[in-house]
Amino acid sequence: MADDGSASNRRDPIKSSVGNVAGQRRRQQAVTVAKERRELLVRAKRLCRVGTNGDVEDALVENEMMVDEEQPILEAQASKSVEELKSAVQYQGKGAMQKRVTALRELRRLLSKSEFPPVEAALRAGAIPLLVQCLSFGSPDEQLLESAWCLTNIAAGKPEETKALLPALPLLIAHLGEKSSAPVAEQCAWAIGNVAGEGEDLRNVLLSQGALPPLARMIFPDKGSTVRTAAWALSNLIKGPESKAAAQLVKIDGILDAILRHLKKTDEETATEIAWIIVYLSALSDIATSMLLKGGILQLLIDRLATSSSLQLLIPVLRSLGNFVAVDPKAVLTILIREQNTEESIIGVLAKCLRSEHRVLKKEAAWVLSNIAAGSIEHKRMIHSTEVMPLLLRILSTSPFDIRKEVAYVLGNLCVESAEGDRKPGIIQEHLVSIVSGGCLRGFIELVRSPDIEAARLGLQFIELVLRGMPNGEGPKLVEGEDGIDAMERFQFHENEELRVMANSLVDKYFGEDYGIDE
Amino acid sequence: MAMEITQFLLAAQSADARVRTEAEASLRQFQEQNLPLFLLSLSVELENNDKPAESRRLAGILLKNSLDAKDSARKDHLVKQWFAIDVALKSQIKELLLRTLGSSALEARHTSAQVIAKVASIEIPQKQWPELVGSLLNNMTQQGSPAHLKQSTLETLGYVCEEISHHDLVQNEVNSVLTAVVQGMNQSENTAEVRLAATKALLNALDFSQTNFENEMERNYIMKMVCETACSKEAEIRQAAFECLVSIASTYYEVLEQYMPTLFELTSNAVKGDEESVALQAIEFWSSICDEEIDRQEYDSPDSGDSSPPHSCFIEKALPHLVQMLLETLLKQEEDQDHDDDVWNISMAGGTCLGLVARTVGDGIVPLVMPFVEKNISSPDWRSREAATYAFGSILEGPTIDKLAPMVAAGLEFLLNATKDGNNHVRDTTAWTLSRIFEFLHSPDSGFSVISPENLPRIVSVLLESIKDVPNVAEKVCGAIYNLAQGYEDSGANSSLLSPYLTEIITHLLAAAERTDGAESKLRGAAYETLNEVVRCSNLSEASSIIAHLLPAIMKKLAETMDLPIISTDDREKQAELQASLCGVLQVIIQKLSGREDTKPIIMQNADDIMRLFLRVFGCHSSSVHEEAMLAIGALAYATGAEFVKYMPELFKYLQMGLQNFEEYQVCSITVGVIGDICRALDEKILPFCDQIMGLLIQNLQSGALHRSVKPPMFSCFGDIALAIGAHFERYVAPAVQIMQGAAQVCAQMDTLDEELMDYANQLRRSIFEAYSGILQGFKDTKAELMMPYAQHLLQFVELVSKDPLRDESVTKAAVAAMGDLADVVGENTKQLFNNFTFFGEFLNECLESEDEDLKVTARWTQGMIARLMHSS
Repeated sequence: MADDGSASNRRDPIKSSVGNVAGQRRRQQAVTVAKERRELLVRAKRLCRVGTNGDVEDALVENEMMVDEEQPILEAQASKSVEELKSAVQYQGKGAMQKRVTALRELRRLLSKSEFPPVEAALRAGAIPLLVQCLSFGSPDEQLLESAWCLTNIAAGKPEETKALLPALPLLIAHLGEKSSAPVAEQCAWAIGNVAGEGEDLRNVLLSQGALPPLARMIFPDKGSTVRTAAWALSNLIKGPESKAAAQLVKIDGILDAILRHLKKTDEETATEIAWIIVYLSALSDIATSMLLKGGILQLLIDRLATSSSLQLLIPVLRSLGNFVAVDPKAVLTILIREQNTEESIIGVLAKCLRSEHRVLKKEAAWVLSNIAAGSIEHKRMIHSTEVMPLLLRILSTSPFDIRKEVAYVLGNLCVESAEGDRKPGIIQEHLVSIVSGGCLRGFIELVRSPDIEAARLGLQFIELVLRGMPNGEGPKLVEGEDGIDAMERFQFHENEELRVMANSLVDKYFGEDYGIDE
Repeated sequence: MAMEITQFLLAAQSADARVRTEAEASLRQFQEQNLPLFLLSLSVELENNDKPAESRRLAGILLKNSLDAKDSARKDHLVKQWFAIDVALKSQIKELLLRTLGSSALEARHTSAQVIAKVASIEIPQKQWPELVGSLLNNMTQQGSPAHLKQSTLETLGYVCEEISHHDLVQNEVNSVLTAVVQGMNQSENTAEVRLAATKALLNALDFSQTNFENEMERNYIMKMVCETACSKEAEIRQAAFECLVSIASTYYEVLEQYMPTLFELTSNAVKGDEESVALQAIEFWSSICDEEIDRQEYDSPDSGDSSPPHSCFIEKALPHLVQMLLETLLKQEEDQDHDDDVWNISMAGGTCLGLVARTVGDGIVPLVMPFVEKNISSPDWRSREAATYAFGSILEGPTIDKLAPMVAAGLEFLLNATKDGNNHVRDTTAWTLSRIFEFLHSPDSGFSVISPENLPRIVSVLLESIKDVPNVAEKVCGAIYNLAQGYEDSGANSSLLSPYLTEIITHLLAAAERTDGAESKLRGAAYETLNEVVRCSNLSEASSIIAHLLPAIMKKLAETMDLPIISTDDREKQAELQASLCGVLQVIIQKLSGREDTKPIIMQNADDIMRLFLRVFGCHSSSVHEEAMLAIGALAYATGAEFVKYMPELFKYLQMGLQNFEEYQVCSITVGVIGDICRALDEKILPFCDQIMGLLIQNLQSGALHRSVKPPMFSCFGDIALAIGAHFERYVAPAVQIMQGAAQVCAQMDTLDEELMDYANQLRRSIFEAYSGILQGFKDTKAELMMPYAQHLLQFVELVSKDPLRDESVTKAAVAAMGDLADVVGENTKQLFNNFTFFGEFLNECLESEDEDLKVTARWTQGMIARLMHSS
């Protein structure tokens, strides 16, 4: 460290005394003994269960068989199958094509089998060069399809197994083109999607080899499984964190039209993959964001939210919506004003998500709402006047922590004017009074007690609003009534200085010596 | 605009406490109200040569403290604060700091160098101060730069290099920094101050220089400059240069070959003739080479199978000369070195290095050292006798037993006689050498010992005679007895050769502990810990009655400590220390006697009295006693089992106090452990106390003030309590799991590059899983459904952990076990969940391939539990 004090090297002398080390060793031993006793106790309880349940032994044996015995068999079969493929590839005589396809199909079957396909064994036996060879131009469709399928399953394995596909990528990309048959192109897209899903390095390789344009063009048709698979692969390819792939995608003629068209009309499964593309585009590309907004995407997203009940679809749609709201709150306002309180209004669909049982959905919806609530006074009024309010208040007292925290952001934002400069934000008293009377204070004080610093700060900020902003100075009494003083006093010696100062100064200011005198 | 704050800064250092407090408050207020302006004003103060040295000094300190703190949470906060400050204002501050480097006042320059490094540590990794390196280098290259500016600039460069990682700079910058630093070392062009600063800067920049050291030309140049600097005429510069060589020895071991002849000559000249501070670094160079080679040898062990980094056998190649050089250092003892723990001189460093050399080359060292030993050990000069003994003792670890055994056997009698040598140092080193012999050449368990039934009586009688010697010798004798006893630890169930001497040994150790001459407390500690080892390693069937007699004697001693007159805090401390030692002995005795059913009653009969003593010790309010008494109470709880409940009403308040002792967190930690012991002892009978215990545990876990190392044991304690009270844990489950989830989240966000932090993360995660396991098992067959809401989180957490390559085996085991417990306890309701979490198949497979038998067994059990679940309809 750049502090004073010489850093001269000095080590422990070889000649030392026994006292200190021995004491430490003895205390360490006491802790170890306690640990061993705990483990013994726990193990005894675990074993005793096995004894009382006769069938466990059987299950155990069965399971071991699957793992210990069946796995080696599978691996041996895979190696053998690759050997057969090798001889099939070398064979030039009559029926050579059929021989190759048969060998490929056998290998594909093995690689699709069981939860733990013998990918490693296949790779060790040298499958990749053979599969690449089978992908060569002019090969029959069936052969191309089977090889791409094998590669797809290999790419679904562990990272280093996925990486093994590198030599095959140029040909897989080549077969994406319009000259290929749809099933072949789709299978290749699938393999590429797996590779792209592995990580940024491989995504960069794919991009540099030109995988993006042909994949993008595959989603132009109106329907079909090819569109879905290609959209999925495409979303994997552009997912960032670097934005250059997203930027490249936007530049492809007609792509945004295709996206908007699919979002409007296509089936839910395809729409799900398309929505993921939108998630990444809206997060990574400003151009895409503004062009999609111009194309009316908000309404399309809201319509999907209103009509679908598929969780898989709702999550990316909701996240996209949040991305757009965060970028351009004004656009939302126009929608808010146009369609207040109908089922299709943005608040309506968010309320629907908040009501859902699914945690991710709830959390995302609250996040979107908090973005809206951070907007202008009109935004705040709009939210405040809708059905979503009682919902938010209920969530604040009943939901898991992370959702409560998001909801707290919404409620807090509703009570204050948007911050300008350094001064304390002005309070929107009407909102504050109605929210407090809705019983939210306890929820916020709960947050103050949370170990999460951010949540605690949120709670404290809200308490400050209540203390400062409730009419007739009834704030302090309300806070005290919900044990708020106790909650704040916990911060008296808190290590986080900001929270400590905030809590202490609130207690001093509102519950100082004069507090309660006039009662 | 900056504010004028000189008066406040001066007043804050006033001798008048009132003035000081007021000024401090004003400064703090200023800081809180407008941090940016405050920092700017401080920088202005620091830069202004017309200001008094005192105010500038404090300004510098306040600046530094606004940028860096030891506590990591505080540090994070400061960094965030700095980021929040307006960029233009920050540039102003940085400009002032850089300008201060040219100030005429040495202290201001020095402080500024430190502050710049702190700013750099925050900004450089974020690429927010790209011009720093350039402007520093400019100071160095500009025509006519004054020497003092160059000096401070080099100092700054050194500090900056120390604060940031070399990944934060591009290679070009690294090159320029290195060039500037190395040029600063040039003798012909620079003043001594500049060269010293340059050499110290190089020490910090060495870690940066990987690329440069790979390039032979650059490496040659750097090495040439360092070697030249190591011959400067100023001792301080020579020392700094040797410190660079020490660092190079460990960082760039691989490329040292071609320089070794030069380095050998340099270091051996320094060891032979240079000032001590320089000679010590020269010896340290060789110790570091030994460290490297020992590491490589351990890494290369056949079972690890990895390809090892290259081993150049420098020590082996230099062996004869090196050993000769080190042996000569041994003759340079200081008169009173054995009395003071803080002494570090050339003979001690030489002996320590010799020990490392022995561990590096093994047998090869023996023929080189033995002639020296034989020549000197009977010399009339005490220095020669001591050096010979020290040399002999130093090489006892490393060479094979076959090689050492004949010499030790031949020399043992001589050493036993030397315990009567006329010189205190010789006797001290002789006793230490005996303890080394017993440590390394006495393990009857594995088939070899220099001690036989024939020579044991003589050895014991010599040791018991010598323990009456002066305190420093007596302390070393304790070490010898410690190792002697340890050797007999597992010497078969039937009999221990040491048993016949046990009473006598214990008597002498107690007498040594009672001595009041000289450094008695150090001797006392050594004597009691040796007594503990003697008791722990004794053969219980032969020793039970002796230990049974020792018990009341120790209890009596502990009782007597209560009556010691306490006048000063010093008295209080001594009492506490003594009580700690005695509680330690009781802990070992309780553990030993309760280990077997036939001796356990001895503890049971005395339990009431022992407990009463512990409570009285607590009454003395000394925290270091708390710790040892608590540990002993844990042992007592295990011994007495459920009967322990009768002590709870009185003990409980001390347990509460222990849990609330945040300052001495070890006390808190041990208390948590003892509560676990008590849970196991009491089972359901702990229930009446659980509300308060759980309340405190939860409160502690939520507190930011508690030392983090206590948190993992607290989570484990949740598990202990749940196991003890079973279904009654229902009322605690919601808050407990909430905190567990919070902590799990914290783990996920930790900086994975920080090794210490990762170590903590592993402990924390393991303890959270242990808590889950305890709670699940406690609910088995009664309230299993209560855990259903948490099942998802548990599996998510296991999944997250399973994907972390940095987790250690114990975390893996705890995670797998908790997963199995979930399947086992909650059963069918989790089937759907397990279907959703497909990771577990692969995870279990990975565990089944582990080398760790325990982990395999656990994984197999968990696999069975999940399989049963999946097969159920």
